[in-house]
Amino acid sequence: MFVINCPFCGERDQSEFSSGGEAHIIRPKQPTELSDDQWAEYLFMRKNIKGVQFERWNHAHGCRKWFNMIRDTSNDKIHAIYKMGEKPPIV
Amino acid sequence: MLNFETPIQEKKSYNDLTISEVEPIIKINLRSRKREFSAKIGKILSIIPPVESNMSSINDNYSLLWLSPDEWLLYSNNKINKYEEQINLEDKLFNQISKLNQGAVTNVTDHWVMINLNGNKIYDLLSKGCPFNFNDFMSKKGSVAQTIVNHTDVILHNIDKGNLNLFVRRSFSKHLWSWINDSARFI
Repeated sequence: MFVINCPFCGERDQSEFSSGGEAHIIRPKQPTELSDDQWAEYLFMRKNIKGVQFERWNHAHGCRKWFNMIRDTSNDKIHAIYKMGEKPPIV
Repeated sequence: MLNFETPIQEKKSYNDLTISEVEPIIKINLRSRKREFSAKIGKILSIIPPVESNMSSINDNYSLLWLSPDEWLLYSNNKINKYEEQINLEDKLFNQISKLNQGAVTNVTDHWVMINLNGNKIYDLLSKGCPFNFNDFMSKKGSVAQTIVNHTDVILHNIDKGNLNLFVRRSFSKHLWSWINDSARFI
């Protein structure tokens, strides 16, 4: 368990949040031109690395807003939190 | 619609702690990102939606709670015993906000049940099943928190130190009421 600093509500316990998986995945501009494999790659395949990862999180039991987080998955250390649409800070 | 047949209808007192359901009251959810929205609400209700997160605005008749940067919960401070009062308020807000594309007005009177907790031990009671840190919250008049109490989503409105309104979804209200009463026996 760890504490997350929601950019809207402030510091809250992790149990109030839900993880939305890897962040900054760009939707293909022309989905109809993709092969099934390319579409499946975009839709389902996610990195699950041990180390620093860019993730989306949702304050599900609070303000219900989405935001981005840079987290080290090996020790749950949070390097940065930034709002949707903002550029990721350099860590 | 107003809850005249409310799910709990009880008032319990324990050592330095009183718990009671406060119904029927009007609850309206307001959503907008428009700049003119605050001024419009101010004009209709004589209350300005709080911009500061986790805070509320209160006047004689209504309280307006911050839920997220573009969402607020409006509720009446006193019990409302006439349907007309609710319909008039809802119509007024709907006609001047929703119809003019200034935001969304949703009547959530049936959605939430309001429980008032009074006494010095209310924060100890809630802490038994809540991950929220009450240290700053309890001394801040008008502070608001959306969190989980015993795995149930709640909105907490700290009217004053030792006086708190708790909003819980109607379908979870009896369960949470039982849990609150059970926990109150051990503090």
